[in-house]
Amino acid sequence: MNGFHLDPAAKVLVQGATGRMGSRHTELMKRYGTNIVGGIAGASARREVSDTPLFGSCGEAVAATGATASVTLVPPMDVLGAVGEALNAGIKLIVSPSEGVPVRDAMAAYAMVKEHGAFWIGPSTPGLAIPNRMKLGFIPDVSLKPGPLGVMSKSGTLSYETCFRLASHGVGQSAWIGVGGDPVKGMRFAELLPFFQQDEQTRAVLVLGEIGGTEEEELAAEIERLAFNKPVFVLLAGSSAPEGVTMGHAGALIQGGRGTIQSKTSALRGVGAHVFTSIESLVEGVTRSDV
Amino acid sequence: MVCDDARPPVQRTERIGPNLLLLEHDAKELVHPLGIPIPPGVFVDSETVDSLALDDGAWVVKAQVGVGGRGKAGGIGFAASAAEAADFIRKHADATIKGHRVAGFRIERKVDFVHEVYLSFMVDAAARGVRVLLSAQGGVDVEAHAQHADAMLSVVAAPDPVSLVAAAKTLLRELPSDLQTPLADAIEKLARAFLRLDATLLEVNPLFVLADGSWIAGDMKLGVDESALPRQPELEQTIRARPEAYRESNFKLEHDFDYVGIDAHGQVGLLTTGAGLSMMLIDEMLQAGRRPFNFCDVRTGQLRGSPARLIEVLQQFTRGPDIAVVLVNVFAGITDLGEFAQLLLAALDAVPQIKVPVVARLIGNNFAAAKQLIEQSGRPITVEFDLDKALQKAVDLAGMAA
Repeated sequence: MNGFHLDPAAKVLVQGATGRMGSRHTELMKRYGTNIVGGIAGASARREVSDTPLFGSCGEAVAATGATASVTLVPPMDVLGAVGEALNAGIKLIVSPSEGVPVRDAMAAYAMVKEHGAFWIGPSTPGLAIPNRMKLGFIPDVSLKPGPLGVMSKSGTLSYETCFRLASHGVGQSAWIGVGGDPVKGMRFAELLPFFQQDEQTRAVLVLGEIGGTEEEELAAEIERLAFNKPVFVLLAGSSAPEGVTMGHAGALIQGGRGTIQSKTSALRGVGAHVFTSIESLVEGVTRSDV
Repeated sequence: MVCDDARPPVQRTERIGPNLLLLEHDAKELVHPLGIPIPPGVFVDSETVDSLALDDGAWVVKAQVGVGGRGKAGGIGFAASAAEAADFIRKHADATIKGHRVAGFRIERKVDFVHEVYLSFMVDAAARGVRVLLSAQGGVDVEAHAQHADAMLSVVAAPDPVSLVAAAKTLLRELPSDLQTPLADAIEKLARAFLRLDATLLEVNPLFVLADGSWIAGDMKLGVDESALPRQPELEQTIRARPEAYRESNFKLEHDFDYVGIDAHGQVGLLTTGAGLSMMLIDEMLQAGRRPFNFCDVRTGQLRGSPARLIEVLQQFTRGPDIAVVLVNVFAGITDLGEFAQLLLAALDAVPQIKVPVVARLIGNNFAAAKQLIEQSGRPITVEFDLDKALQKAVDLAGMAA
């Protein structure tokens, strides 16, 4: 139990609120219903963005608003600094959408997040959402619909497409969390499972995974450990991908045969999950079930 | 050296992180200025081999290829003179190892050693830290040795020099005393080089310990994080110096998006955005018995009003003799599809060699405007809202040409 939870009324800051993307997404998140209480202006002289007050630093913003969450809409090389600033201001949930954050920075950011007892989503993620309540990031509205599925995904676009099709069949989401496509990240699939176990709105879990890494295998182990009793539907991308660059002996020694579609499929099926390798078959599987 | 793989020499449609495995020669020349001892060596390819001059003595000639296992594939030879080395190089210059073309050869002084050790530093994604692996029994069979209990020592540390060096040195207690001094020095230097270069992997195997108690890097694998290139000018220079060996990385440096060739005789050119969904499309296309030409992720959110990325991808398609259809897929959360349609038409204007039909699956804001704009252009473009229908249409068109 790691204590991760989502509060749809959480007070949210936007770090990097004055940039081209920052100001646009601040407005879109706010319009969606997110309780955006402030932005961080950095060097900008602007005082507000789309009716959101701007502050000089996270510390000032938290003192003035009581914010507990933040979205870092900053360039990839600035993510580590932004995460550090948020943590020092007392922020407990940080969402980092930026693509291209150096792996060394991601490892350093994670070490700080852990030390502060906080939670980090991303990097390289469209963020998270509770349909019709809040959105931290930019998951497209057209794919969001309230419903029974707890969604977690490595890929943005694959989750947009899959959830869009499911939504058009009437199956929406209880909560949607993009864990991101980078190898080193904040929250991983397995760490989100206790949240979906406890969340009463979640009647089944949808996982959008892909070849590489060991998150799907870890998830299978966690399903077993928690005796997770809601249905789990998994779509795996990359079943046709040729074997990739072998990272010397070290990769083989660490991953030990995990990371392939076969190992993910057999681990997940072994704990009762439903695994698919095309969007349409997954959609059929979910809509035919009684979820 | 054999070509044991009939697949086209293209890898990595899956994302294993933005990793680039450097050639051994480049790896060694990058770490040497950071204090890592390496055997003196030179890079030779089929163009420079005729002017090769070497002192007599024992040399090792090693094929340079961005993949492991080359020794067992016959990519390493021994020579006592320039003539012998040149002979090996001429014999192996056009070889392919595990689908990778040999980029050249490193000729290096053979090392007289008393121990072969294994030492590596690697990003461990699951542990979200740096994993250090150390074994007193290095060499090509290290994985087999590691099956024996306790043969491979391992520890995870935070990515800063003090933590990393301290953690790695705790492993030394398990080693024989004659290895402790050289390995302490190796850990100190390699850990700092790993962090300094934003490496994802720095593996030295074998790490030779010599009779005088010093050490030297025998073989080396250096994987680097492409996301860190903006702060690694030496790495960027190394990559740019080899446009062929590091083709995909150079493409990304040049154009700032991902493009990977998959099948030179592919039938379907993919002009798509989003890595996960593009990968899924490739899976589904192969399941339907059609051959995709490429993988790409043009990131429509970053086009900023320019058709440059779309033009670049279409230009790649002009190299595909069997391309029968171009499938465009854009699932846009924010991108205005009307604007995207304009860019797509401009890109098609800029690459008139593309005469095959285009199926454009578009979803997002302003779909109606985009559809109208495309249909009014009079080009052979079908606009689809439903991905399965678009995919089916592309599969059918590819099938007609096959």
